[in-house]
Amino acid sequence: MKKTSDLTWTPFFSLYKRELNRFLKVIFQTVFTPLITASLYLLIFGVSLGKSITLSSGLSYLSFLIPGLVMMSVLNNSFQNSSSSVVSGKFSGDLEDLRVVPLSVSQILWAMSIGGLTRGFMVGSITFFVGQVFHYVVIGELLSVEQPLVLLFFLIIGGLSFAQLGIAVAFWAKTFDQMSAVGAFVLTPLIYLGGVFFSIESLHPFWKSLSYFNPMLYFINGVRYGLLGQSDVEPWMAAGISLLALCGFYFLARFVLKKGHYSRW
Amino acid sequence: MEKKSPLKIENLVKKYGAFTAVDSVSFEMKPGEIFGLLGPNGAGKTSIISCIVTLQEQTSGRIEVFGHDCQKETKLAKAAIGFVPQELINHGYFSVEEILHFHSGYYGRSNNTERIHYLLDKLALFEHKDKKVKALSGGMKRRLLIAKALVHEPELLLLDEPTAGVDIELRTSLWDFVEELRKDGLSILLTTHYLEEAEELCDRVGILQRGQLKKIGPTAELIKELTQREIMIKVSRELESIQHAHLIEQEGQHLKFRVPSDKGVGDLINDLGLDLNLVMDLSIKEGSLEDAFLSILGGDVQ
Repeated sequence: MKKTSDLTWTPFFSLYKRELNRFLKVIFQTVFTPLITASLYLLIFGVSLGKSITLSSGLSYLSFLIPGLVMMSVLNNSFQNSSSSVVSGKFSGDLEDLRVVPLSVSQILWAMSIGGLTRGFMVGSITFFVGQVFHYVVIGELLSVEQPLVLLFFLIIGGLSFAQLGIAVAFWAKTFDQMSAVGAFVLTPLIYLGGVFFSIESLHPFWKSLSYFNPMLYFINGVRYGLLGQSDVEPWMAAGISLLALCGFYFLARFVLKKGHYSRW
Repeated sequence: MEKKSPLKIENLVKKYGAFTAVDSVSFEMKPGEIFGLLGPNGAGKTSIISCIVTLQEQTSGRIEVFGHDCQKETKLAKAAIGFVPQELINHGYFSVEEILHFHSGYYGRSNNTERIHYLLDKLALFEHKDKKVKALSGGMKRRLLIAKALVHEPELLLLDEPTAGVDIELRTSLWDFVEELRKDGLSILLTTHYLEEAEELCDRVGILQRGQLKKIGPTAELIKELTQREIMIKVSRELESIQHAHLIEQEGQHLKFRVPSDKGVGDLINDLGLDLNLVMDLSIKEGSLEDAFLSILGGDVQ
């Protein structure tokens, strides 16, 4: 008699495990490289330049910068994980496997986006840890987390959103160039301009009102509120818009997984 | 209970833009048989397979695998299928054994080491199980694809050009393996343009041309129906010139006839009124599937 097979959880966890192992196999590149980047940002902006920056809220610039960098790590790495999984699958041809095996669109979508979120979380935590070290050395105390649940909420929403966006972009891309163009010309500017390094209060009114159309602003300020208890945007508004963004990215990813091509480049 | 057909295709149409790759194809497989889809390149073989495994979306028609509609009961249909694609696949990050474990998981099997080791052993990959795929030779990659298709003990195996670009030694061992799988009760659909392969393996074949199924039937019957046999007779002395509808060559003591496959040698000799004492030597060359294939496709073989 054939063994019975569970087609619900086993396939899902197998794909999740693959997504996890994929980046853990190249952990140096996927986790430790971002660690260096975060340390450099903290050293140059937080410590050196930060001394000459005063914020209206009375916070030190280093404290202000840490939540921004944490969220930037989460968003970038969640996006990276799912998109590079899809792109390398297209390159080697094993993306077809996902279509042929009994995995549903939902299973692929959630396994990949939770995989991306996991990497985002790991790198985000490392960034936070390094930030704490800097904070302790420079200011003499650790940064306390004001609203842990709010922080968690925004990290999860942001990570899932960007992992799903990663799936969508990677399915759409026809070449590696297109893939990196999206990163360089769309995502990085939006993240940087979303208030990782500065408060939009300090912007010219025109740029300030334009910033409200950037969904990254809400992700980043949500995390900032969770960590520091204050931000440029009302937390409820940030939560609402972040959830809306997640829905948008979710349906986008669902659409491409259903209709997109799984064939090799 | 009557066993459901492993694969039932009804009026399958697949269009790419204005081009019709599969034009209203219908056929049904019998449980436990090896069915061959034959045709020149571009006849629509791979398109049909791609529709079955949902890599391509069918334009219209219906595909059922053991009674499960491939579009509506996708998971159940896919769970019954093992698919070996035509092109070799690389896997960037993982070793052979890891890949097979993940693949088992996709089919709902979490502890599958025994089956995986059995297949690795069977396909002579065991000593390579810790290697990454890019370190494997083409033949090994091909065998890995077969192992992947079999980890979940499928009931229907789809082989898309299994021996394209494969050396003779591996080809023979693959054929033996396919025979063995059939003995275990697996139903197998294979596409090929090597007629020798179809002749060797397939119980039935369907011949495709420009997306249409031109002919379908048991391999041996198709050959018989569509081919001619060549009969060579050597006689002890030179005969005067013979008039016969099937004669194609007469040279000295040698006579060569091409007759329909159902015509016996005795009939021919009777027809000729030839004295049997004159016959020194006689040889018969049976028609091949290749001849049958050519007679269906006419000049359309590339």
